[in-house]
Amino acid sequence: MTRPYTRQEMMAIATGREIRDGELAIFGVGLSMLAGYFAQAHHAPNVRAMTEGGVYGATPVGGLPWGIECNRISANATSFTSALDALGCLVASGRCDVGVIGAAQVDKFGNVNTTGIWDGDGEIGGTYRLPKTRLNGAGGANDIACGAGRVIIMAAHEPKRFAERVSYISSPGYLDGGEARARHGFPGGGPSAIVTTLGILRPHPESKEFELDGWYAFSSPQEIRANTGWALKVAPGAAVVPEPSAEELAALRRVDETGALRKQ
Amino acid sequence: MPPGKLISLADAVRRLTWDGMEYASGAALPIGSDAIVFGRELLRQGRRDLHAIFHCNSQQLNLLAAAGAVSRAECGFSGLEVFGFANGLRRAVESGKLALEDYSNLSMALRLLGGALGWPFVPATVNIGSDIQDRSAFAPGEYPARSKIPTVTDPFSGREIGALRPLTPDLAAIHVSLADPLGNAIMLGTEWSRFELSRAAKTVVVIADAIVDTACMRQFPNLVRIPDIVVEAVVWWPFAAWPQSSPGLYDVDEEHMVLMNKALATEAGTTAYLRDYVDSVGGIESYLDRIGRDKVAALSQGPTAFLLDPYRQWILPPEALA
Repeated sequence: MTRPYTRQEMMAIATGREIRDGELAIFGVGLSMLAGYFAQAHHAPNVRAMTEGGVYGATPVGGLPWGIECNRISANATSFTSALDALGCLVASGRCDVGVIGAAQVDKFGNVNTTGIWDGDGEIGGTYRLPKTRLNGAGGANDIACGAGRVIIMAAHEPKRFAERVSYISSPGYLDGGEARARHGFPGGGPSAIVTTLGILRPHPESKEFELDGWYAFSSPQEIRANTGWALKVAPGAAVVPEPSAEELAALRRVDETGALRKQ
Repeated sequence: MPPGKLISLADAVRRLTWDGMEYASGAALPIGSDAIVFGRELLRQGRRDLHAIFHCNSQQLNLLAAAGAVSRAECGFSGLEVFGFANGLRRAVESGKLALEDYSNLSMALRLLGGALGWPFVPATVNIGSDIQDRSAFAPGEYPARSKIPTVTDPFSGREIGALRPLTPDLAAIHVSLADPLGNAIMLGTEWSRFELSRAAKTVVVIADAIVDTACMRQFPNLVRIPDIVVEAVVWWPFAAWPQSSPGLYDVDEEHMVLMNKALATEAGTTAYLRDYVDSVGGIESYLDRIGRDKVAALSQGPTAFLLDPYRQWILPPEALA
């Protein structure tokens, strides 16, 4: 199949479309940062973006930053502060409108695991045994998941990553679903979308179970269900997601100067 | 004006560190400012059984863990950002040689703030309700864990929240861009949690890429977030955060970030790395030679080099620091 954009680019553009002009926004490192700065370059010029290290007013230069203190995101900042300021005063306080986080594994209630993979059935059990594969830990994503008004989760859509229940909740979504999240009084509302390499899932208003809301021109509900580890429901009104426009692709590629999203 | 509190890297490690200590470093994220040379010297002097407190993992913790010098660690983030998983750290965790206690990037900053203020605990509205609260690598048999982030009741609202344990490490080795010989320090780029860490630690050593005259601090006192009175010792070491970046001074060395992390993925690679980049480079000149003088020059001309311009006139030349 020939199409003029990659699956990763479609995911970044679909994520960026979730961000509205003027919002206070925090982006994690990597793909979520490209999605966020794509939104700023395309349809949200007044988005007020920050990193969790407290870099304000900056746009990346020279391609995808290697990290959130990379010089690529420090070359045109208007303020440098701290983690306590950005993740605390502006996110955990409930002031931030939207955050974008990544996931190694995500479940049907939008809980995210970025901590480890356990062998066997994936259950850790009563003793915190050693992981088969140690991942990166929560970083700032737990704080964003608790505090940001809404959270967009980005993940590659594969069966092992889309689990009935994550092995370890690094960053809370709706926990056991329904009203479970409300018990903790988080200022943030929880994940509003899981945007993947194949489509977009959104939570059911009451059960908080994620359902298929959109698929891409190159994917299908059948393919998405086959790549999801729970019995994925299709939401009423689910439809194909519009393909990237020429303007969207051009804006994304200006941000993704080094082509991180064009690698297949 | 020198020496003030200026001492050599080797002396700082000899005088301020010991086996089994609570050692804090890993300042500004896995790609940014960190006193990585301090970790290299800890290994040259054979320090063992460290309890590492790193707000974020960095190549320093990755190296210390790969070399088997750390038995316990507490972190908010344990990867290397876009450079991927930290192979040395993950190998130590997966083999059970290192117990890694997970927090988040805000909760580590809050714990340092709690230590700095002498609070008995810090109220937490993050980390609760997740396995960060329920799973403890330091008390693996306890599930759900109750000693790590115990639940407490907010006396005002009645809401159940978490209690974070404050951190007061024995030593913090803090990377800064500029320090004067007395220990006043300026950090270019985000300070991450170095302000809180400098007040939480029982002893602080700053490792500066450049030493400046105190007149520089009198020109920019608002920017001196670490004042001399909390600093025990000052170490001058150019490219102290290499292969990570130091805004204003040098870019991340992409090639070496990859090479180093690849080496630390195996025992054999780690042994070779220690031979080539730790044991044989104990002095500043041999260290800069090993990085490569051309690379040192190229990395110094990055897109943030202009950030250093206001301070350049006060930088003391090496001969003034002897």
